[in-house]
Amino acid sequence: MRRTLEVDGEKIAIWLASTGGAHVVHCDDGRELPCRLLPGPGRGGHVLELGGQSYPLRLAVGEDATFVHLDGRTWRVGRTDLAQTLGGAADGAALDVLAAPMPGVVISVAVAPGQEVAEGQPLMVIESMKLETTLTARRAGVVAEVPFVRGDAFDSRVVLVRMEPRKEGM
Amino acid sequence: MTVSKLLVANRGEIAARILRTARAQGLGTAVLRHGAEQTGPAHLIADEIVEIDGPTPVAAYLETAQIVAAAQRIGANAVHPGYGFLAENAALVRALDAAGITFVGPTAEVIDLMGDKVRARAFVEDRGFPVAPSAIEDDDPATFVERARTVGYPLLIKPSAGGGGKGMRIVRDDAALVPEIETARREGQRYFGDGRLFVERYIERPRHIEVQVMGDGRGHVVHFWERECSIQRRFQKIIEETPSPALNPEQRLEICETAADIARAVNYRGAGTVEFIYAPDGAFYFLEMNTRLQVEHPVTEMVTGRDLVADQLRIAAGEPFDVAQGDVRQDGHSIELRICAEDPADDFRPAIGPILLLDEPRGEGVRVDSGLLEGSAVTTDFDPMLAKVIVHGRDRAEAIARARGAVRDYVLLGVKTNADYLDAILAHPGFTAGEVSTGFLAEEAEALRERPDAARNNVLIAATALSDSRLVAEVESVPAIYRKMGAWRN
Amino acid sequence: MRRMETRVRPNSPEFRAAAAEMEATVKRFHEIQDRTRHARPQRDIDRLRRQNKLLVRERLTLLLDPGTPFLEFSSLAANDLYDGEAPGANVITGVGVISGREVVVHADDSSNKGGAWYPMTVPKIVRALQFALQNNVPVVHLCDSAGGYLEDMAQVFAPGGRVFRNQCMLSKRGIPQLALVLGHCTAGGAYVPALCEHTIIVRDSGAIFLGGPPLVKAATGEEVSVNDLGGADMHTSISGTGDYPVSSEQEGIALAREIVATFPRKPRAFDWAEPEAPYYDARELYGIVPTDYRIRFDMREVIARIVDGSRFHEYQPNYGTTLVTGYARIWGCKVGILGNNGVLFNDSSLKAAHFIQLCNQTGTPLIFLQNTTGYMIGREYEERGITKDGAKMLMAQAGSEVPKITVLTSGAFGAGYYGMCGRAWDPRLIMSWPASQMGVMGPEQAARTLGDVKLAQMRRENPDLPDVAVQELRDRVRAKAANETSAYWYTSRLYDDGIIDPVDTRNMLGIVLSCAAGVTPAAPGYGVFRM
Repeated sequence: MRRTLEVDGEKIAIWLASTGGAHVVHCDDGRELPCRLLPGPGRGGHVLELGGQSYPLRLAVGEDATFVHLDGRTWRVGRTDLAQTLGGAADGAALDVLAAPMPGVVISVAVAPGQEVAEGQPLMVIESMKLETTLTARRAGVVAEVPFVRGDAFDSRVVLVRMEPRKEGM
Repeated sequence: MTVSKLLVANRGEIAARILRTARAQGLGTAVLRHGAEQTGPAHLIADEIVEIDGPTPVAAYLETAQIVAAAQRIGANAVHPGYGFLAENAALVRALDAAGITFVGPTAEVIDLMGDKVRARAFVEDRGFPVAPSAIEDDDPATFVERARTVGYPLLIKPSAGGGGKGMRIVRDDAALVPEIETARREGQRYFGDGRLFVERYIERPRHIEVQVMGDGRGHVVHFWERECSIQRRFQKIIEETPSPALNPEQRLEICETAADIARAVNYRGAGTVEFIYAPDGAFYFLEMNTRLQVEHPVTEMVTGRDLVADQLRIAAGEPFDVAQGDVRQDGHSIELRICAEDPADDFRPAIGPILLLDEPRGEGVRVDSGLLEGSAVTTDFDPMLAKVIVHGRDRAEAIARARGAVRDYVLLGVKTNADYLDAILAHPGFTAGEVSTGFLAEEAEALRERPDAARNNVLIAATALSDSRLVAEVESVPAIYRKMGAWRN
Repeated sequence: MRRMETRVRPNSPEFRAAAAEMEATVKRFHEIQDRTRHARPQRDIDRLRRQNKLLVRERLTLLLDPGTPFLEFSSLAANDLYDGEAPGANVITGVGVISGREVVVHADDSSNKGGAWYPMTVPKIVRALQFALQNNVPVVHLCDSAGGYLEDMAQVFAPGGRVFRNQCMLSKRGIPQLALVLGHCTAGGAYVPALCEHTIIVRDSGAIFLGGPPLVKAATGEEVSVNDLGGADMHTSISGTGDYPVSSEQEGIALAREIVATFPRKPRAFDWAEPEAPYYDARELYGIVPTDYRIRFDMREVIARIVDGSRFHEYQPNYGTTLVTGYARIWGCKVGILGNNGVLFNDSSLKAAHFIQLCNQTGTPLIFLQNTTGYMIGREYEERGITKDGAKMLMAQAGSEVPKITVLTSGAFGAGYYGMCGRAWDPRLIMSWPASQMGVMGPEQAARTLGDVKLAQMRRENPDLPDVAVQELRDRVRAKAANETSAYWYTSRLYDDGIIDPVDTRNMLGIVLSCAAGVTPAAPGYGVFRM
């Protein structure tokens, strides 16, 4: 239940606590804001109770920011949920290793170590159980290792192509 | 020359505004729309929507042949171009003339004349109207630089084919003259397809004052008084008002009659605006004439009580336009604010986003010309101007108060706008005193900047956290006993 | 339930003097605990930073829901063993809240000796897993250990298997486990993640292998890197031993939280109402319970400062008065409380057995507040069958289906310690107050008895034993007895689940009750025997 908010050009990490009827917003700089948000007049209308005062406002929640109309001014508050960006992110490095799905033979090899390849580029062709399969690069990058050559037999789950780890900004 | 079905070759707020008057006059209505364009009020008002296409959405609105063909196809007998796009494009006028479709505006010749800033200037100067000292390159390219020097510093380099304040460069000392000329030429070539230049004396602390004129093309021209548009950011107007607080009644009369005379000189047909530079010493000089309806026309409508689009349509239909100058009065004061999708805190970078909530201000003396619908989105496809908030008051003070109230009540959530910046300008003592020039916004940039406020930021943080329903649900999912114990450790 | 009256006068000089003594004792406990938790050699912290690793308590802060409690078990395990080289036995265990769910956490502390498992580490982990099994609570393992401490491997080896066996039993009972591999899981340690339902491995720090590269090279001559042998990518794409590779600890923790959020919620047993803070101030406990177990106090005063609203419904108030029994709520949960108020006699033993049966009949959890010097001795009591009555109490207590929680408040001696649900009797948790003492008999008595025996021995060998030698012997024996009855000695050896500040007792009980509510108690086998 942590978020990072961006207000007025500043990033603030917060977490929210609830003690029954009221909430407390805890900020990473030590600020604690006991507050309540109640419905208010108008579409998107609310009343925020904070520090003993009531603030009528209008708000709308967007995908990654919340817009607040407060006291004749409009503000955009950016919202980031680190857990969303970190926790569920497709893990790039898993695409770095191509392993043999079952024992087979190398028919042809199209790339060499050090070669830069694009996503989807054919890397090698293998044959298993009378089935020919073309292995393609799962992401753009540089080939690190191709342990087998044409004609080699290999076992199941053996590494057929390894990519260099993805560099920052790739 | 029947005008019974009108195609509006434009979009956004101006299309909606024109359509409203057209419908009120009982005309059949149609409007253009690009496939990628968001739904706006114009699409809900028009009887018919005509799809247009082009390499970009803006390009679609510039394709003359497509538009003429569309008008023919739907049986429109008149086309209103709005402003921008093809509003001052003589080729469109000729093509419509050839197709037997009425163009709501002046003749192609007048558009050609006034569209060429050099020609227009020369025309006006020849007839004895005041123009700022200048040097036109075309007169004698070989001596252009020398003649530019005699204009005197500071001077302004302008592209002949430019307009709307784009591509201009100020030169304050001689050393910069030649390099700036070269840069201006390159830019003129790039933006307008024409590298020709002219140079004009730059008036320090000028005010931009323009006059609304209306003519029937049969010799009768009236002016509908002036507007002041000195509040400009990088040469783009953002606040306009009428009457101008700088003019006394004599000055006002003089400038307006001069404008009307210029319009008479070309036997002007339709709505037009003559723009002047007004110097601190009271002198004024012809700047340019815009042969179209202007963005800021509503302030004139608010004080004169006239519907300029209705006038345009009547004139286009050949109906009598017999308004006497004496019948046109300025009643009270009007101010217009241009709401643009931009972030003043980020150097006015254009903003985009979904329109999550839209609540336009209403009330006594408040009018909103809007191109927005809640639920649509603002994209970079078109100009960032979204809507105009126009107010009317009995005097300037009341108009300012109403303008502040209206812009503070303007609720648009989902896209950053300049609404707060407009309010800051209205609140500035320089503006309220009416002591501004076109450099006002640049000079006062620091004073107009939003101040940080810790208490306010706390409100924003709290409101954002508590309105994040997923966040609240995560917190509520913690069993009550643990929430009550809080961050206890043994 | 009526609010209890109090006879405590917090402003009296006696009270203040007693409170000052207890506060000093408690303060000393907190200082020792803080040092044990946080003091680490700077070079170890530097090493972790170089390896891009977070400290174990930093990991917990990110893992646990902010603004929620964490009950740590056995913080002072191994405090007087191994020359103090294994603070907390190199591991943190406890129960906390992750994504709104109660979770038992087992986190290796690699800031000390690389997080190696000492002999006492094993029972600490086993105990935490047992807590999870008893209460149906999921487990998260933060794996970052160098493996068994080589010098004492012989003591780790056989008992160590119980860790993995408990993991298997958790899985068998449908209680999910998640392992976040933040360091090397070598040899036996490799089984921790392998026996979990969900395994996350941090690239370049985490690895799982039965033998590390040096061992492999020594055994077969094969040369292979850590990553190729047991790294994140290998295990999550080739061997299938791991499920999710991640590129940083933060990412791993975020993913762990997301996975825990998918664990099913348990229905809640017992009788819960809105919680209410005690009416009396818990800090008064410092003046109520003396540091010397021989000084009497009224256990009712302790109860009044732990239970909701200080409300208590006493059962059989006039019978068996050396044992207080009754009902109260703690954090809203209705509980049955048994508290010693003197020596256990026949009637108090029977009353205990009877009350325990009543609570089993209604499915009410039991709280045992110990302050006992044992059962009464003497001819009258033997003739009345004190041992038989004590046996009834043991039988009722041991056969309880409802959860039991025990707190050692002061004295815990003799069979009374057993009857009041001591360690061996499976309380869901048993914690001691810092000044509490326990043993077969009180230290003075033990010192005297043992001293007499030894003295007789020495006098037989040397009839002219000098007085100073006698004194020296008595001092030595007394010191040993005092040491071996102290809470620190017991907690070091996992004979309890930790020492706790008296004012923290209420929260500890609330958390354990909330965890225990995940399992509905079975019905008792019989109706109630009126004793």
